[in-house]
Order: sequence, then C-alpha cells, then structure tokens
Amino acid sequence: MSAMRVDAKVVMLGKESVGKTSLVERYVHHRFLVGPYQNTIGAAFVAKPIQVGEKVITLGIWDTAGSERYEAMSRIYYRGARAAIVCYDLTDSSSFQRARFWVKELQNCEEHCKIYLCGTKNDLVEADRSIRQIDYHDAQDFAEEIGAQHFETSSKTGNNVDDLFQKVAEDYNSTAFQYMTAEETGVDLGQKKDSYFYSCCHNN
Amino acid sequence: MSQRTERRGIHVDQSDLLCKKGCGYYGNAAWQGLCSKCWREEYQRVRQKQIQDDWALAEKLQREEEAAYASSHGAQTHPQSAAPAPQPQGAPGHASLGPFSKFEEKKTNEKTRKVTTVKKFFSPSSRTAPKKETQEGKTPSPSISRHASFDTDQVSKDFVEFLKNLQKPGREIHKQCRTFIMNMSSKKDLGADELSECVQDFYQNMADRLMSHFKGSSESVEQVMDQVEKYIMSRLYKSVFCPETTDDEKKDLATQKRIRALHWVTIQMLCVSMDEEIPEVSENVVKAITDIIEIDSKRVPRDKLRCITSCSKNIFSAIRITKNEPASADDFLPALIYIVLKANPPRLQSNIQYITRFCNPSRLMTGEDGYYFTNLCCAAAFIEKLDAQSLNLSPEEFERYMSGQASPRFNSSEVDWPQTGPAPGVAPANPVLAQLNHNLELLSGLSSRQETLMEAAQSLQADLLSWPEGVQREVQDILEKYPLEILPRTASAIDANNIDNDNLPPPLTPQVFAG
Ligand SMILES: Nc1nc2c(ncn2[C@@H]2O[C@H](COP(=O)(O)OP(=O)(O)O)[C@@H](O)[C@H]2O)c(=O)[nH]1
Ligand SMILES: [Mg+2]
Ligand SMILES: [Zn+2]
Repeated sequence: MSAMRVDAKVVMLGKESVGKTSLVERYVHHRFLVGPYQNTIGAAFVAKPIQVGEKVITLGIWDTAGSERYEAMSRIYYRGARAAIVCYDLTDSSSFQRARFWVKELQNCEEHCKIYLCGTKNDLVEADRSIRQIDYHDAQDFAEEIGAQHFETSSKTGNNVDDLFQKVAEDYNSTAFQYMTAEETGVDLGQKKDSYFYSCCHNN
Repeated sequence: MSQRTERRGIHVDQSDLLCKKGCGYYGNAAWQGLCSKCWREEYQRVRQKQIQDDWALAEKLQREEEAAYASSHGAQTHPQSAAPAPQPQGAPGHASLGPFSKFEEKKTNEKTRKVTTVKKFFSPSSRTAPKKETQEGKTPSPSISRHASFDTDQVSKDFVEFLKNLQKPGREIHKQCRTFIMNMSSKKDLGADELSECVQDFYQNMADRLMSHFKGSSESVEQVMDQVEKYIMSRLYKSVFCPETTDDEKKDLATQKRIRALHWVTIQMLCVSMDEEIPEVSENVVKAITDIIEIDSKRVPRDKLRCITSCSKNIFSAIRITKNEPASADDFLPALIYIVLKANPPRLQSNIQYITRFCNPSRLMTGEDGYYFTNLCCAAAFIEKLDAQSLNLSPEEFERYMSGQASPRFNSSEVDWPQTGPAPGVAPANPVLAQLNHNLELLSGLSSRQETLMEAAQSLQADLLSWPEGVQREVQDILEKYPLEILPRTASAIDANNIDNDNLPPPLTPQVFAG
C-alpha cells in the first residue's frame, strides 16, 4: 500500500464554491463536470507527477473542505505547504475579500509558501462581461504587491489551468535547485531544513 | 504482578486507593497500584535493564552478521583487497562511505542551530509543572512483559536483516542508530520538544547521508529511512510516548471527557453523507472505527499513520457508497469528525503529538498519509473548539444539550453514541433510551411469537398422543366387525411327512433292465 512519493505540498484555498475542487478535477482528470463528479475515486488528495525539463516533480495537491465552519482549522492544513493556490470567483467580489484574508494568513504563518492568486470561472465573464466583479488589473496589482503569481482560469474550458500548475511545479523545481546548490557550497543548511520540514504557526 | 481486581465492594478502604509506595497520591490498578510518578520510576528501572538486554542482543547480532559477512566474502576476497573494505561484485557504489564518517561531526555542528518545529502548533504549552495524578482513563504503557521485549528483538533482527543487503553502509547505519539510541537514553530528562528535535536531527542527517550515498534516489532513501524509523522508534517508544514533561496525558483525558459530553451530536448536525442503514456503509464505518482505535496499539509513527490512512479509506468508501459518487474534501472532514466522536479513540492527543514529534517528516508533510493525518488533527481541533455555531444550533439549544437537559430528536438509525455515566434528566429521545425501547419492543414481539410457538407445540403433542389411541380404536372396530374365524383345514400339504400317505400313489420303484 505504498503511496506515491510526493515532492511538494500544494494547498487549495478559497471561499466555498469558488471552484477549487473543479480546478483540481480539470487539471488532474482533464474534464469539467457540472454537478456530481462521476467516476472519480475521491478528489481530496491527488499526487500528480509533472514533467519539468528533464525531471519529474510530483505535486501533492490538497483540496480543503470549503465550509466556513472549518475555517478555523485551515491553518493546520496549509502548514508546510510549498505552494498555495488562493482562489477567488471572478463573478463574486466577496470571494476576493476572502482571498485577501488567506494571503495575509499565509504571509504570517508560512513564509516559505509561494502564493498563486487564481481568479476562477473565466468562461462566465467572457460570455458576459457585465458579471465580472473583480477587475483584472486590480487583482494583478494586488498580486504584485504580495509577490504572487496571478492567473485567471476556467475549469470549464480548461483555459490557463495547465499553465498554472506547470508554473507551480517549475517554481518548486527551481527553488529546490537553489537549495541544493546552497547545500553543495555549504551555505545555510539550517534554512533548508526549516523551510522544508519545519514551519511554525503558534502565534495562534 | 499482583493486581488488585477485587475492589467491588461498596466499602473501599481509603488506603486501598492510595499509591502502594505511600507517597500520598492515589494509585491506579493499571499502574499496579502505584501513582503515575512512582510507576514511572519503577518502570524506568525495568526499562533500563531491558535496554541493556537489547544492546546485548544487538551487539550479538552485529557480531554474527560481521562473522557471516567475513566468512562469505573472506573466501573469495583477492589478496590485494584485504586492506580496503571488501567490495562485493554486483553491488557497485558500496565503498562510498565518506559521508557516513563525518556523521557525528556534522550532527554536533548542527546542534547549535535554532530549530522551530511544527509540533508547536499543536502544543502551545507543551511543558507544564509536574502533573497531578489522574485516577481514571489512562491505559497503562504497554506492560514490560516478555512479549514486548520479544517484539523489540524481532524489530532488531528485521533491521539487521534489512541492512545486510546494504553491505558495509548497512553496518554503518546500524552503528549510528545504536549510538543514537544510547545517547537518547541518557537524555530522558529533556523536554518533549528537545527529544523531538534530537530525533528529527537524526533523521535529517541520516537522510542527507543516504541521499548522497544513493546518488539522489529518493526512493531508496525513503526505504532505508522507514526501517531506521521503525528500529529507533520501537526502542524509544516507551520513554518518549506521552512523556511526563508534557501535558499530553491531561489533554487526552480532557478530549475523552469532551467527546463523552458530545454524545448527543447527530450525524445530521455534522452534515455527514454516510447512510449507516446501508449494510456496506455500516461495515465500512465499523472498520474505520476499528482502525482509528488501533492507532494507540502501534509503536512506530509510520504504523500509526497507516491506521489513520486505512481509517480514511474506509470513510471514503462509505461516502462513495452512500452518495454514489466520489467523496470530496467537503464530505471527508465531517465524516472523520463523526468517526472520531463515535470511536472516542484512546489517547488521541498523545498519539497526535507522538506522530508529529517523531514521524519522518517527509511522510508527514507532503504525501497522502500526511493529508489524512492533517485531517485528523483538524477533526481533533474542531471537536475541541466545537460550539453552537459549528453545528448550526442556537447557543441555548447547545447549552441544553451539553447540560443534558434536552436531547435532539433522535432518529432510530443513529445508534450507540459513546455514552458513559448516567445523564441526569434525559428525555426519552435520548439515543440510548430509544435504542432500549426499540429493543424492548423487539423482545416483547419475540416473546409473543414464542407463546404462539409453544401453543402450536402443545397441540402437536396432544395430537401425537391421541393418534395411537385412534389407531387402536380403529383396529378394534375392524376386529369386531370381522371376527377371526378359524376354519378346519381341508387342503393337503405335500411336504408333510405323515399325513394322508394313503391317498398318494405308491412311490416309483426303480425298474431294472437286463442287458
Ligand atoms: N462556469 C464555470 N463554473 C465553474 C467553474 N469552476 C467551478 N464552477 C462551478 O462552481 C461550483 C462550485 O465548484 P467547486 O469546484 O465545487 O467549488 P469549491 O467549493 O471551491 O470546491 C460548481 O457548480 C462548479 O460547476 C468554471 O471554471 N466555470
Ligand atoms: Mg470543493
Ligand atoms: Zn506514588
């Protein structure tokens, strides 16, 4: 029952029904399903190998329970994550407020976690521009301010979804490479360990 | 080993309850009548001896292994390879021992570094003053029986067996592990965080060395690391599980009480999509509960993790069968919370802490096992913080349920919440009472069916008794109707010798022919 080896932990964060599960589903199974996700084995944790240059990086993608009643527990979820995909719904401005909240949380508690800001349901706003509630440039400005990558995706059409996860894997690969060269030159071993295995979040 | 089990009487002498060492605290049968402090002291002594025995065995195994190695390779060793380590054919790269030799050196260098550990998240205050003895609940640490030491022997043997495949580096690993365990036994006064740091440092160093030995093959590294964890932690388990320097034990008791107090929480309040009326689902639920209870019986962190993973997989199937679609993260967490509430697993906090402190971090942080473990941590945190809002109840309702003044309307499909102790003033809607009523109904149904059966049996018996009489009567009637007449015999019997001989022709006489 040996589970697949995983290189990096990636957490999905965002308000309920912004489309986190759909995003994972689209990426991993290349499909978009309205309503019940038939035929999947269970979509809470997925290990997904990704080709990056010569190497294969396996991302462990952690979907989280969307209900607000579990929000207090989400810090437990993202500890040790190397990347967080913070989702908001392009047609729902309140979801962007939640995204800001997650970003702040991550900045406080997981300094080694890279943030990817992801506006979802792009197909809806392309079909009808009037329902867009979050301006592309506003989100882009915010992303730059926090040093995050910014994507707008559609799980329905698949637009930008692969790019997003590919970027996550590439970034992980290059940081991992940096750590390795750091180790070879004998620099800052402690930091590597800190970032990889140990993270703190006790300012609760 | 004289356990006093005959404490049934109503009158219990106060002195019976006190620690047998006379220290003034209460004792506990689980600790052989000692208080937890005296028990620990006593137990340390026995343990120390066991450690020594283990060493002796490990040394012996080591010598045997080396002898076996020497004899199998010595014969075919070329003269010139006598000085360097014998290099077996077909196993290239085993001479790369460089990294291991600097092991200790690096370890001490790193010792000064400040490390912040994940487990602090779970234990904001992991060190407390020496705690008061608690008289209930705690299962004793596994007894220092021959069985336990047999287990560790077996672990040692397996470890040596495994390392043999690695040739010389294997020996080096074995030596490092033994030295490490030895060092640890002299550090038993350290706090849990420091103990954890030592173990984590050891893992880290070992993994680094292995990484360069296996030239970056993480698979091979992980394989060895699993064995290293198994070996080290089955030896350290007793001294580092729920250590006295922490409040783990107190938290365990608090969680246990909390779960008992929440017996009234229904599957609907948690919005769990598992229908236990479906036999397959309820089977999965039972398995999940068994798995989660089993965590406490394992010593190696990874084995404990496996129980959690197995429990989670059973929950996933239960949800999938119920919903007829795959379970998502939204379904899983509430279901796991439900299972934790239903199982009330022993020493839940201690186990979570132990895994967090001593599990190989690469397993814990990223992989699938880690995902389920994290969900279990969330479930425990949710239960701890659970309030009216988390169940969509009004604060008043929540209060009434908590105090036992009222009970949510009970749906007969949800039964047997862990409930202990009588809750005063429970309404008949209490799940246990409802179950009781249900059982009573079943019983009275059964008894009336039994009565019917009894009646039928009696009438059958009567029938059986009257049947021969009837038959006899009929036979009698027939006999009367057709009385038996004996008529004079008229027919002749050929075979009878002396009857009616005269009527027969004379017997044939043989005729003689001449010529
Ligand atoms: N049109 C459209 N609908 C989407 C998209 N992503 C998600 N949805 C819908 O949004 C709803 C919530 O999605 P889900 O993935 O369950 O959200 P989660 O709660 O964040 O996991 C579902 O009805 C999806 O079908 C998208 O890219 N385009
Ligand atoms: Mg979801
Ligand atoms: Zn005592």
